[in-house]
Amino acid sequence: MKPPILIIIMATIMTGTMIVMLSSHWLLIWIGFEMNMLAIIPILMKKYNPRAMEASTKYFLTQATASMLLMMGVTINLLYSGQWVVSKISNPIASIMMTTALTMKLGLSPFHFWVPEVTQGITLMSGMILLTWQKIAPMSILYQISPSINTNLLMLMALTSVLVGGWGGLNQTQLRKIMAYSSIAHMGWMAAIITYNPTMMVLNLTLYILMTLSTFMLFMLNSSTTTLSLSHMWNKFPLITSMILILMLSLGGLPPLSGFIPKWMIIQELTKNNMIIIPTLMAITALLNLYFYLRLTYSTALTMFPSTNNMKMKWQFEYTKKATLLPPLIITSTMLLPLTPMLSVLD
Amino acid sequence: MLKIIIPTIMLIPLTWMSKPNMIWINTTTYGLLISLISLFYLNQPNDNTLNSSLMFFSDSLSAPLLALTTWLLPLMLMASQHHLSKEPLTRKKLYISMLILLQLFLIMTFTASELIFFYILFEATLIPTLIIITRWGNQTERLNAGLYFLFYTLMGSLPLLVALLYIHNFMGSLNFLMIQYWIQPLPNSWSNIFLWLACMMAFMVKMPLYGLHLWLPKAHVEAPIAGSMVLAAVLLKLGGYGMMRITTLLNPLTNFMAYPFMMLSLWGMIMTSSICLRQTDLKSLIAYSSVSHMALVIVAVLIQTPCSYMGATALMIAHGLTSSMLFCLANSNYERIHSRTMILARGLQTLLPLMAAWWLLASLTNLALPPTINLIGELFVVMSSFSWSNITIILMGINITITALYSLYMLITTQRGKYSHHIKNIKPSFTRENALMTLHLLPLLLLSLNPKIILGPIY
Repeated sequence: MKPPILIIIMATIMTGTMIVMLSSHWLLIWIGFEMNMLAIIPILMKKYNPRAMEASTKYFLTQATASMLLMMGVTINLLYSGQWVVSKISNPIASIMMTTALTMKLGLSPFHFWVPEVTQGITLMSGMILLTWQKIAPMSILYQISPSINTNLLMLMALTSVLVGGWGGLNQTQLRKIMAYSSIAHMGWMAAIITYNPTMMVLNLTLYILMTLSTFMLFMLNSSTTTLSLSHMWNKFPLITSMILILMLSLGGLPPLSGFIPKWMIIQELTKNNMIIIPTLMAITALLNLYFYLRLTYSTALTMFPSTNNMKMKWQFEYTKKATLLPPLIITSTMLLPLTPMLSVLD
Repeated sequence: MLKIIIPTIMLIPLTWMSKPNMIWINTTTYGLLISLISLFYLNQPNDNTLNSSLMFFSDSLSAPLLALTTWLLPLMLMASQHHLSKEPLTRKKLYISMLILLQLFLIMTFTASELIFFYILFEATLIPTLIIITRWGNQTERLNAGLYFLFYTLMGSLPLLVALLYIHNFMGSLNFLMIQYWIQPLPNSWSNIFLWLACMMAFMVKMPLYGLHLWLPKAHVEAPIAGSMVLAAVLLKLGGYGMMRITTLLNPLTNFMAYPFMMLSLWGMIMTSSICLRQTDLKSLIAYSSVSHMALVIVAVLIQTPCSYMGATALMIAHGLTSSMLFCLANSNYERIHSRTMILARGLQTLLPLMAAWWLLASLTNLALPPTINLIGELFVVMSSFSWSNITIILMGINITITALYSLYMLITTQRGKYSHHIKNIKPSFTRENALMTLHLLPLLLLSLNPKIILGPIY
């Protein structure tokens, strides 16, 4: 894609999300969502193969439906409250519609079916934008309407998302699908805590974005999209294999890495609200996630795959791929746990 | 406590920046110096705990375990020198860094004063251990072993996290020192039963309890020598230490809830001891012997009498040193014949007499010969379980007999009798190996002169 066009499209994507986050009028929020969606379609279609076309079409259909559903909820809210300002939504029907629409945009279960297929059909860079930047806008709206969300609905969606994210990823060897199921599970964790303490949702979103960005960048360094190609990394970039090890363990939520912080805080908030079984169930289901991350680290860092003799002495070319800001990203994705007491500034 | 933690952290730059022929020497020496510092904590004045800071403290329960942990690092490094000699330099340094990182987490775990801090570090010890087992183990089963190890422990400890956060909410703080004064009795109700289970299962898996012990033979057998040493000597004791700490919160429900676990432990120790008699794999035998000894510790902690706590603490330290020594001996065999099968290397006494002396002493301490601290531990546990219920003396007696049987079986199979033909050209014992055995045995024998140090806070 020619650079000027790419810049305009990227700027539109960012502007769309910014409009969603910064406006207080429901119509502008809808406009922002549509801008975002229309601008990201060319990004998803960077390669002209049928798989990418199918992925972009599926993405367009789900997001457009969700936006329309959101508009419906907004109109019902207009009918019952008489104004367009984003505030507490008094009508339960409007609130349920908006929640459903936003969870459809996020890829929470039971609207998660598009996430693995769309993520698989696009390039790694587009996948990175899809799974990180695109989550910010719906999450910000959920944050703003959090006092009026129906807890039962969202908690049910969250629980099923964690289960789907865990079980769905178990049979995958394609890295993009693994990251898609990981995204579903993490969105589930975030959705569980919105109605109780939205700040923890923002914390989880931030750490999830950092970790996912790091992971995708490490995958892009090697242009690897399958577990098999990732297992050849010990030859070319041995240090990156250790990074993948730590990052995968952090995504799985193992202490003392930063991936544990959101899980710890979310379980703390849920137990403060007298829910004991749900966080236990979510925590144990997150172990399924850990299993397939661990399988990735086994094939990448901890064992050496059977390889031909040609592989063992690869010619070391100079690094030409750009990995923007990779070291700070990796450090923040793995070593932030000692800074957890700083969360008290959020009170 | 920082005077131990910061030097341990600094051991990592020491490894990476030493000259290639000095990495082992430097780390071992400074590791021994750090263990000297930890000995200061053994001097506990009058029943009080030594509070170093807001986050760390040490009392007469954690100080011996701390000393054991810091003593073990140089021993692990000495034991690993041979099997890593053929690896490239970076991998050697990585291995040593993993060991040091594990050491660091263990030191912080044993001296943590807040329960959530303890939990985070308890889980953190899993990661270096996993990496050591899966990356440097020798057989293909090590992948499965690492998985079993990680997932058994995590399944047990996630409910512990929820339970700790619930207790934090309920009581206001989880600091050990404060919580002793705020405890309220825990009555018997369904939700309290689940709370008790959530708190204890993590440590039961770690100990391990007989029904949940499946990870242990796999992990111990597949791990390289340093991994086996640290698993057997210290990581199992984390379970015992955690149980001792958390049972202060769980009275009097423990009297009711302890029965199933007591039965599993009492039956399990006999079962695992009996399995030892039928093992062909030397490391597997020592692993099952660990399960059997730890079952005694579980019985002791669940009975909750002063005598049993003394026995449990003494048994933990004694078993740590003995088990680690047995693994080192098994490893010295493995390095020579590259197989763990016992009968392949028989009659070693004629070929390596000094090593046979260490084998003899290790087997004798394993079967709890007087006046070693192993005996003191086992005797206190047997006495207190007898006072808890008279019938347990039968089971305990059977266990002690079978322990003696398999220890002597191991000794006789490897050392006595005619040697097998093909081991005539094994290398003689290295001085490093003899030093390793001495360093294991000397604390064990000297402690029998003054067991007061390891008898724990109740003494």
